[in-house]
Amino acid sequence: MNVELKEIVFLCVAIMTILPCFIVAFSRNILHSAFALFFTFLGTSGLYFFLDADFLAVVQVIIYIGGVLVLLLFAILLTRNIEDIKTTNSLSLRRAAFAGTVSILLFVTLLYAYISNKWVFPFRENPDYPYFTIKELGDLLLTKYLLPFEVVSILLLAVLIGSLVIANRSVR
Amino acid sequence: MDIININSYMIISLLLFLSGLFTTIARRNIIGIILGIELILNSAALNFAAFSKFSASNLEGQLFSIFIIVIAAAEAAIALALLLSIFMRHGDINADKLDRLRG
Repeated sequence: MNVELKEIVFLCVAIMTILPCFIVAFSRNILHSAFALFFTFLGTSGLYFFLDADFLAVVQVIIYIGGVLVLLLFAILLTRNIEDIKTTNSLSLRRAAFAGTVSILLFVTLLYAYISNKWVFPFRENPDYPYFTIKELGDLLLTKYLLPFEVVSILLLAVLIGSLVIANRSVR
Repeated sequence: MDIININSYMIISLLLFLSGLFTTIARRNIIGIILGIELILNSAALNFAAFSKFSASNLEGQLFSIFIIVIAAAEAAIALALLLSIFMRHGDINADKLDRLRG
């Protein structure tokens, strides 16, 4: 049983992805939750690199960390001061018990299904998986998936205008 | 030892999904609920990319991951604009107290 360096790095990245999730779920301070989410997103980007999805990893860093997380931090700092956050970020105990039960049940069920199942898919690496994915993704996006691409761009325009309108109305 | 395979990716994304589900249900703060939704969308995108690498014969799974990331960003922008509006109007973002529409 020889362990390569690549697999040690993979294990570290996986642990860096999973452990902050529990901080997100259980932390009393919502700023700590948001900063833990930073490590989760960074670890997910590393996992994309292990999947040879280079474009996806870069997009993950740019959009999730540079966009969504900064937006969340802005919202946290705009709505409450930190001393209040510590008291208001509590878990609802009744719903926490319910959610914990559901989560553990789902985990056990899916793990059992995963262990006991005989897969019908060929789970192996493709020999013809492209080495650089950006050109192939661009080709797919502008030929076969042109209509979803345009629809998503219209969605982004609507979100831009809509969020401006909603946030502006609240100021007045 | 070969641990970089579809099984470890599925377990990682299952754990991400379940902690996101727990966060979404159990938090009182609206921002906490949005954090949970981001975790769930992240795990879905990771699963698509993993199946695209290990099971499919093309890159379409990664394309779905990109669409999921775009929709997550749009959802975060709209949700935070709504949240600012709610905070300006009610002065509170506790999801348990916002029950004016309850019959």
